[in-house]
Parts: sequence; C-alpha cells; structure tokens
Amino acid sequence: MLTQLRSDLRVVWAVARKDIRTALTERVSTILTLFLPLNFLILLSLFALSGSLAPTAVVMNDTGPLAQQFYTAMAGAHSFRLQTASAAQAQALLQAGKIVAVITLPADFDTQIQANQPVVVQVKINNLNTDFTNDVRRAVPLAITAFYAKAFPRLVTITAAERDVWPRDTDYIPYLTVSILVVALMVGGLLQAGTATAREWENGTIKELLLSPASRWAISAGQMLGAFLLGLGSAAVLLLVLIFVVGVVPLHWGELLLFTSLTIIIFVAFGALLGTLLKKRQAFLPLAFGTSLPLFFLSGAFGPISFQHVPLLEGIAQAFPVYYAIVLQQHAFHNFNLNTLGVGLNALVLVGYAAALLGLTALVLRRSSLAS
Amino acid sequence: MLTSLLRSLWAIYRKDLAVAWRNRATLAASFFPVVGFLLVQAVGVSAVGRNPVALVTLDPGPAGQQMARIIHTANVFRLTDATPAEAQSLLDNLRVAAIVTIPADFSQRVAARNLAPVDVQLNNLNLDFTNDIRRAVPDAITQYYAAQGDANPIKISLVETDLRAHDVQFFQFSVLPLLVLLMLLNGLVTSAVATAREWESRTIKEMLLSPTPPGVIILGKVLAGVTITLGLGLVVLGLGAALDWTRPAPGAWPATILILALVAFLGTGLGVALGAAAQRIQPVTTGSIIIAFYLFFLAGGIGVLAFQPAWLQAVAVFDPLSYGVHALQMAVFYGANDELGLDLLVLSLASLAALGLGALAIRRRLAG
Repeated sequence: MLTQLRSDLRVVWAVARKDIRTALTERVSTILTLFLPLNFLILLSLFALSGSLAPTAVVMNDTGPLAQQFYTAMAGAHSFRLQTASAAQAQALLQAGKIVAVITLPADFDTQIQANQPVVVQVKINNLNTDFTNDVRRAVPLAITAFYAKAFPRLVTITAAERDVWPRDTDYIPYLTVSILVVALMVGGLLQAGTATAREWENGTIKELLLSPASRWAISAGQMLGAFLLGLGSAAVLLLVLIFVVGVVPLHWGELLLFTSLTIIIFVAFGALLGTLLKKRQAFLPLAFGTSLPLFFLSGAFGPISFQHVPLLEGIAQAFPVYYAIVLQQHAFHNFNLNTLGVGLNALVLVGYAAALLGLTALVLRRSSLAS
Repeated sequence: MLTSLLRSLWAIYRKDLAVAWRNRATLAASFFPVVGFLLVQAVGVSAVGRNPVALVTLDPGPAGQQMARIIHTANVFRLTDATPAEAQSLLDNLRVAAIVTIPADFSQRVAARNLAPVDVQLNNLNLDFTNDIRRAVPDAITQYYAAQGDANPIKISLVETDLRAHDVQFFQFSVLPLLVLLMLLNGLVTSAVATAREWESRTIKEMLLSPTPPGVIILGKVLAGVTITLGLGLVVLGLGAALDWTRPAPGAWPATILILALVAFLGTGLGVALGAAAQRIQPVTTGSIIIAFYLFFLAGGIGVLAFQPAWLQAVAVFDPLSYGVHALQMAVFYGANDELGLDLLVLSLASLAALGLGALAIRRRLAG
C-alpha cells in the first residue's frame, strides 16, 4: 500500500516536471500563456473605463456667480468630466465624438435666477446608447437640486440625505479589477491545463502514458500539478500588477492567497477535463477564451447578482464557480459580502467544486481509451 | 492558363473549407460563447440602469404621498414598497441596493418650508450603481417640484436635443460590437490556423513543389477564410434580426453586408499573415485571440467610444475595427451614411494592408 503510494507520488511528480519542461520548451506559447491573464486584466479594465465620467462641454454664455455655482454643482454630480467651450467648439467636439453632451447656460442665467424667472438650460446629447445617456439625463437634475440646495436653501427644501453602508466609496476600477482577476485566473488555469492535456492527445504521447503501468489518477494528478505550478507563476505576475501598479491592495492577505490557489485548482482541473474531452488545442483555446466573456458578465462582476432580480441569471451564475470566487475575492480585497452565504460557506462551495472537478477529470482520463 | 489557375484556386478554396468543416469544434468554440453572451445580455437587459430600491413611506400626508407616487412613476428604480423592518432585511440580504425613506414629518416640513430631507440609505459597494442611485433620487425630487406647476420653486428647466434620431437600448447597442468581435476572432483564428497547419503538417512542401503560383495559394486561403467568417457573421446577424435583437434599417442591408465582408477580409488577412509568420498552431491560436480582443477593446468594446478617456479615443483612431463598428452602428440603427465613406475607406485600406501583409508573409516563408 505504502509502496504503491510512493510509486504514485513519483509518477505525479515526474508527470508534473515533464509538463513544465515541455511548456518551457515552447517558449512563445509559454510566455503568451503566462502573460495572458495579465492581458485579460488590461483588456477588461478598458471596458471599465467606459463606466466612468461622461466628457461634457459647458457653454457658459453667462459667467456670473450663479452660473459659476451651477457649473460647480455639475462638477460635483458624480457624472461629468467637464470642460468649458464656445458653442462652435462644443458642437465640433460633439460631432467628432470627443464628448457626449453639450450643456448651454443662457446669457441671462444669473439675472433670471435672481428674479426667480424661468431659465432654460439646453442639453444636447449623443444619445447612442441609453445606458450611458440616461446617466447624463439624470445628472443634470442632480446638479439643479444641488445648485438650489446651496444657493437658495429656503426655496428648495427637499433634499436627499444620504447614509452609506460602507465608510468610503469604492471606485469602479478597484472594484471591477478584482472581478477581472478571477476571470483572468480562470483563463490562466484553463489554458495551462487544457493545452498541456490536449497536447498529449495531439502528439500521441498519451498512448505511452496510458499504456504505462502508472496509475491513471497519478498521471492526471501530475498533469494538473504541473499546470497548477505554472498557473501560480501567472497569478503572481497578475497580483503584482494589480497590487503595485493598479494599487488595489487586499485587506485580507491570507484569504487572497487561499482563494487564488483554490480558483487556480478548480480551473486547472476544468481545463484538464476539457483538454481530455476535446483532445485538440485548436478547439480548446477559443472555447476557453470565449467562455470568459459571458462568464464575466454573468457572475456578478459589476455588483451583487441579487441586485439584478433576474432569477434565471442568478441561477445560472450560481452554477459556476466563478461567481463564488468573485464573492470571495471581493471579500479578500474590500471586505465586501456580495451574498448571504458568508465567507466559510462560499469557500466550502469552491472546495466542493475543486474536489468534484479533480475527481471527474481523473475519472474521464481513467475511462479514456486510445481508440477514442 | 487562366483555367488552370482558377482550377487551382478552386481546389485550395475547397480544401480549406473542407478542413475547416472537419474542425467544426473550432467553429463552434468561437460561435457559442459570443451567442451565449448575447443571450445572457438579452435576459439581463431589464436590470440595466434601474437599481433595486426599497421605498418606505412613513408620511401619510399629501406631500409624502405625492413624493411616493412620483418615485413610483419616475421610472428610475425597480421599487419594492416596504416597512422599515422589511426594507432593512432586503438591504441586509442584498435584495436592494438602497432604502429610500420618506420620513413621517415630511409633509409638515414641506408645508412649513423647513428642510425636508428624503433619507437614502445606500449600499455603496461600488460607484457604478451608487452614482446611479445618487442621480436618481434628485431626478425624482425635481419631478416632484415640476408637478407643482406655477408653484415650482425650481426655475431651471431643461430642453434636450438629441444628436441621433432615436435612442438605442443598451442591449441592441452591444450586439453589433460583439458581432464584429465574433467575425474578427473567427477570421483570425480560422485563417491563421489554416495557414500554420500547412507548415505544421508539412503540406506546405507539396504546395511549394506544385506549379501553382503563391498568389493563387494565398487567394484561395483568404477566400475560404472570408467565406467561413462572413457566413458565420450573417448567421448571427440573421439570428439577431429574427429574435428582434438588432435589425438593419430598411435599405441598409447591402451596406451592412458590405461592412461585414470588409471585417471578414480584415480578420482573414491578419490571420494569414500571423499563421505564415509563426507557423505553429498553438501560438497562432493564442496570438489570434489576443489580437482580436485587443482590437475589440481598443475600439471601445461594447461601450460608447465617446465616453472613453481621451487617450483611448486617440488610440482608437488607429484601430480599423472602430471604423467597422461605427459604420455598422450608423447603417443598422439609423440607416445613415454618416461618415460611411471614411469608415469604408479605412476598413478597405486596412483589409488590403492585412491581405498584403499576409501575402508578403507567405511569399517570404515560401521563398525561405
């Protein structure tokens, strides 16, 4: 029994070493795979940039104190990246797609407001996508109420008194990059294991492995160990950039390391499973990449999925480990709880996924035959 | 002579199509994730832009009730009426992002012209939806005041002029960039792999020894890649039209198909160049995907380019995909030719450059 275990462990280590060496001989592929999760972080962060402030030109036909106060209120409306411009400049910028809105204050703004007379503010919007343009449409009323609350507090008495659950706001990028980290780890783990496994089938070397006296679970475990170690390297690059370049520092380092390792294990096992089933890198690679985009959007990358109130999507998201991994990493980095399961139960679900996928992958390899 | 060349071209074209058909898993692998993503978006679209909020109305007075009615009809939240305890439970269980409470003395305060705050308890997890709510509450307040008619103390009114004929919903908007991504990805992967495979399986040797001119080999490969990619794009466009996701404006079908064909040429040309340069299937596949995703996101992704930072807009000027996406948006959403000439010119030149690059790479490798 002990001798068998020792022999199996030797096989595990030998297969892992062999896979790492093979990966290192394919240098271009290895470099691409190592830095691929980092590329994912960069690319999906570009997506996050569009969720930031709307570039807007303000045509100040009146530069009186009230008009200036209105401009300040707009600047504080959490929505605009403002610049002043002449009417012609603003129109040109809007037509060229450099800005998304032009807000024009009339020449008699101060006089009319002081006389309590109606004032018309012109808003011209590039209404190409309602999700973005509604932000602008709603931000102007926010600026108006903020302006009146400050300039005429006795006139407009209804205000919004905000109490926040968290002591400080978390910007979109620091929040989203943590979700992106999970998807990047997923792609990294899938690729490391999936390409290594599919390569064995493509090159026919699986024949030698399957015909050898080594136990199949040991072969499978060795393949996954090799991919896991390479995945750790890739994750290290990713975390270094996230922490030291993007500046998103985790609050719970232990959780970060634990959940990162767990996530890699899950997707290494899943990659090995897909690689064994598909047997071709050419089919596996687009699938691994392509799946990442829908999973990213599905799994609560932008906020708690329960906010969507779409039970079908919630159900689908909860069927994938990416969802739990995002919940756990958001806790590790920001101390947020994105569902009601708690850290322990979320982690347990991930452990369950890891165990199930490791077992399933070993089983599929065990049942694989050279004829298939 | 010409007949012989055409026969060679046809043979290479058919062979590449047959090989691609045998690798249906690859086609499926690039097709299903994008379609899956579109389905996810289609189901989740109702949640975009309107956050779940619990409304607690403690004031039975006229102003409180009117404010509650306005918040209901303002169409800025997905509202749940609740008691304070229910609302707190909803917030704690992450079923709502905020609780808006109209306090018991709201009407009294409004009547006395005293400060009358509407309490907003906000789960400020991230600024995306937090700011949505911060904007939405004042929106409701201004609507409340607007309903006062002449007694409205807010004298500033807004007159909105839209640059475009009509608004485009978030989901409809995102279909086109994703269609372009699908085509670029497929064109790149299919043709890059088809080209690299000739080296990896050493069939390039036979091609070299055949009397077929290299130009014909390249053209056959490119045409096969364009056929597959354009076919895939048209299937997704047709699917989108059938499901009423996005349908080109009347009369805009020819322009739409032309733009898609140019995107297919661009992807295929780049793919042939990459395949000939790297000659190995695995790095070529990974590289193709990375290039496709970079070109996609640098062109604005599924966002609006005008909302992106200035540096990204400056980069997008050099990304041919941004012209493809813009041309498609104008044709499909508005049936318009707004800068269509420029878009088509840039896209055509980029496609030609990609094809030239592909031809050059193959010629060099063949010569080597």
